[in-house]
Amino acid sequence: MKEADDTFSKQVKATFDESVDKLDAATLSRLNRSRHEALAELQRPTRQWSRWMPATGVAAAVLVAVMMLQSPRSIDDFADAANVTDMEILLGEDSIEMLEDLEFYSWLDTADMDSDVG
Amino acid sequence: MDVSTAVFAVSCSGTPITGTRALQKERQLNRFLADVERRALRIAEIGIRDRDDALDLVQDAMIKLVRSYSERSREEWAPLFYRILQNGVRDWHRRQAVRNRVMTWFGRKPSDDNDYDAIATAPDPIGRAPDEELQNNEAMERLEIAVHDLPARQREAFMLRMFEGLDVAGTAVAMGCSEGSVKTHYSRALHALREQLKEYGPEGYGAGEGKR
Repeated sequence: MKEADDTFSKQVKATFDESVDKLDAATLSRLNRSRHEALAELQRPTRQWSRWMPATGVAAAVLVAVMMLQSPRSIDDFADAANVTDMEILLGEDSIEMLEDLEFYSWLDTADMDSDVG
Repeated sequence: MDVSTAVFAVSCSGTPITGTRALQKERQLNRFLADVERRALRIAEIGIRDRDDALDLVQDAMIKLVRSYSERSREEWAPLFYRILQNGVRDWHRRQAVRNRVMTWFGRKPSDDNDYDAIATAPDPIGRAPDEELQNNEAMERLEIAVHDLPARQREAFMLRMFEGLDVAGTAVAMGCSEGSVKTHYSRALHALREQLKEYGPEGYGAGEGKR
């Protein structure tokens, strides 16, 4: 059985590798362009606060949870306001940056208020 | 401060990485991406059966890897890259499902990924007899359909282990699951494919060792 699996695996791998080798010039050219566009990201200015991304992501989630728990409105109101699809989008991987933005804007507002007081 | 001012302030902070170390990092990333890009494209293409969209997904994965993980060690790049790519493939399927539901609701025929023709997208034969080329293309088409029809997690485990050559640990990172799950998914995929393709025999895979 093991030998049969090995033979089958080799055949499948060889078929796949051949399809990779036969990619046409237009496709290879597009891959090349994509790679260089990706590498250009290295030259773009980095957002310094993005180094805190993992910590700020968790902090932002905690902040949202605390705001929900401390609000005079019930949790049900939040559930009504944000349906399941919205919550999926909010909690999706791509939304971490958005959550961090929320925290950042919240911090900016606080900083503004402090400066107004001072 | 309003939101637009805040965004401007954020985007202007920080400076590009420069110097010898940056150049070395760029070369390493270039080598890695050049090495992985063609297999990644085919893996994404088999997953979604659309070359243009697969190219977009690969580009997106490249950009996200460079933007977020360029400082990680070289050994971590492959699992991370494929994790991003597999997330992209999953999102693509979600979007397709929503699009099809909407189109059905409006009474239009949902798009059918079976319209994809792997033979039509294959390049012109190079130094091969037409019948041999056709046989190889048909073998790949059979394999693509069989792999595409696997359950999603089995398909991911199979392609990452078999086509990309990631080890069990790397595949587990790429799939976001345990090594035990990877072994189970891979084993089931392998046996399902053997069962599905057995009628074609060794000759059914035109690019087999004896063919070259």
